[in-house]
Amino acid sequence: MGTSKARAAAKPAKKAAPEVPSRRIPQKTFIIDNGAYTMKAGYASSDATTTEEALSACTTIPNCLVKTRDNRIVVGPQISSTVNDWNEAMFRRPVEKGYLVNWEAEREIWEQSFFEEKATARNKGIRIPTPEDTTLVLTEAPNTMPVLQRNTDEMVMEEWGFGGYVRCLGPTLNAWNEVHSLFGDPLRKPETDILPADCLLVVDSGYSHTTVTPVYRGLPIQRAIRRLDIGGKHLTNYLKEIVSMRQYNMVDESYIMNEVKESVCFVTNDFTTDMEKTWKANLKRQAASDDSIVVDFVLPDPNANKKGFMRPHDPLLAAKKKKGALSGLSSEILSEDVLVLGNERFAVPELLFRPSDIGMKQAGVPEMILQSLSVLPPGLHAAFLANVLVVGGNASIPGFMERLEAELRQITSSECVVRVRRAEDPICSTWLGGSRLANNREELSKVAISRSEYQEYGSGWAGRRFAGNI
Amino acid sequence: MFRVELLPSNSHAQPGWSYVADRGLGPSKAATAPTLGRKRGIRDAGKGGDISSRRANAIARHIADLDRENQRDVTIPVPVKQAKEAGARKTREKTTSNVRRILMSQKTFKNHLDDEEAAIAAGGGGLSAVQIGGGGGANMNAAAVAAAVKAGKDAVAATVARRSSTPMTTPSTPAARRKRPSAAVTATSTPTPAPSQPDTTDAEAENDTEEPKPKLLKTEYDNDPLLQSYAPKMPSDRIMQLLLAEPALSYNASRVAPPHASQPPRNFCYMCGYWGKIRCGAFF
Repeated sequence: MGTSKARAAAKPAKKAAPEVPSRRIPQKTFIIDNGAYTMKAGYASSDATTTEEALSACTTIPNCLVKTRDNRIVVGPQISSTVNDWNEAMFRRPVEKGYLVNWEAEREIWEQSFFEEKATARNKGIRIPTPEDTTLVLTEAPNTMPVLQRNTDEMVMEEWGFGGYVRCLGPTLNAWNEVHSLFGDPLRKPETDILPADCLLVVDSGYSHTTVTPVYRGLPIQRAIRRLDIGGKHLTNYLKEIVSMRQYNMVDESYIMNEVKESVCFVTNDFTTDMEKTWKANLKRQAASDDSIVVDFVLPDPNANKKGFMRPHDPLLAAKKKKGALSGLSSEILSEDVLVLGNERFAVPELLFRPSDIGMKQAGVPEMILQSLSVLPPGLHAAFLANVLVVGGNASIPGFMERLEAELRQITSSECVVRVRRAEDPICSTWLGGSRLANNREELSKVAISRSEYQEYGSGWAGRRFAGNI
Repeated sequence: MFRVELLPSNSHAQPGWSYVADRGLGPSKAATAPTLGRKRGIRDAGKGGDISSRRANAIARHIADLDRENQRDVTIPVPVKQAKEAGARKTREKTTSNVRRILMSQKTFKNHLDDEEAAIAAGGGGLSAVQIGGGGGANMNAAAVAAAVKAGKDAVAATVARRSSTPMTTPSTPAARRKRPSAAVTATSTPTPAPSQPDTTDAEAENDTEEPKPKLLKTEYDNDPLLQSYAPKMPSDRIMQLLLAEPALSYNASRVAPPHASQPPRNFCYMCGYWGKIRCGAFF
């Protein structure tokens, strides 16, 4: 009871003591945004002036082990160069439901990505030759269990021994980005020092789940963080299931279906109308119009070394193919496998807005934002609603932003300004924010712990410190 | 199953008496007489709404399927290091017992979640107690913040009630035209207006106040409760500090709640994806 108060009282005194300058946090800062699907990693560059320059230091690495059809097991960083045949590829991901659970696999991926002895072309820019001279900024998903947090701290500090270490919520890092120009706010003055945005509501829709985090001056308001258990993985699996039921059996083709999803899916602004457009009975009437929703996706053929691609639907193709060689089609077209996608294109991402379509008893993204705000003082509502930033891979689905803004507008009070923006690079936005935080040495040293501190106080202390209790 | 019974040979009702089901008149009797089969009544009990437990199980299984990484259960071992490669990698002095324990742990997320639930159910034992309990200070904080949130909500409710009684005014009436300066007055009188709210009308209002027109600002309508505008104040610094100092919620507590307004469920045909009322037997 009394101890926590005493601790809080002791905090300012501790900061005022000349202990701070003696704390050595290494200058070199490495940032890992450890996502379930990919990790985004790279050094923060202090001399990058533009966003593009800073982003050029960011490398995206698949955060998984892959078992290919011919039973080879390939680790994260080698996947892009060695795996060509994605048919029946199986995945093992150390990050489960958004949380770093399995360190056995994660260590192997990290080792091969960052800690190779020799510098090669592949690990250029992401090799960490001397962890003890490097500060690590590592992200985690909101509401991570304390046990998993402690495991992470112990692995980082005891297995690799980083010189400095920050573990923080991924969404909060976005507040360090330059969001004023994104929202069209006038810049107050040419700011020399990097400061976080005052109020930012970060919607992070990733592979495992979608979260809403209100960030106030770079810090999360924990009581208002909400999570919807639908992410890119669920969308891919749902599409896979539908297609397997209606057309080809694709249940083992997660990777290919992910490609299909990324190239064809969109969020509709008018579900009912689009549904009518794709109804089989209406198709003939629609055939003449150009804005037909139905498309063909030609599946990749690894033997012929061909990638999958999307093209407009040709209703006569199936009939022609039945005739075989008589139809005069080239053998190339006759051999290809085509998925015809109609209402699947928009019914799948619809889950983010109507989870009840698969019977899930959770609110969609717009209402999730309201639920998050409902536990905050009303004075903050306007400020957060006017600064909604969307990051994560699902933000790239066409139509997502428009739908979110429209629905949010409908359910909020008309006096509030609602502005919803997509980060410039929704996938690397969190990493970029981390790299900007790294350039503000003062703020970084406030949140970081050093190696000697960890050795002195241990992982329990580190956990309490990252939780903001010390 | 077939059942053989003797049917009465004569169909017309006979005088005398017969057994009838006692449907009763009182509510207590009506409740005891199930209209449907006994088993179905048990199955639906406590589920709330029209969803049978079988259906609920099917949905839960479907959602769990969508959450899978691979369709089949596969074990993908971490590749064993070749001697050459192992030599190429940096040799570390030794691994600590913590690291060994973490690497050997085969716990899945489900296991950890069960542990956390058990710890919370047991009154916040174990590691989570450190952060979830938080001591008396946290409780006081929570009370203060809750009070702040509630006070604000009451104020909003009050204004909503007041506003609903406001008669509709067209923008051409002089009262409405004078509304903006009065709004500016109230906005400037608040100690801390929302700093990062780039409201264009606010900006205009500020411009209005900058112009030295005190005569325009003072009107007889200034104190008219119908024309007063309400903007919730930014919470004080102290409240914000308390909010930021709160511990994180548990995994289950942070899950989003069911939608507030119950939307009618949408059903689709499994074969064509179009609206469908009938669920075919493939899934459910």
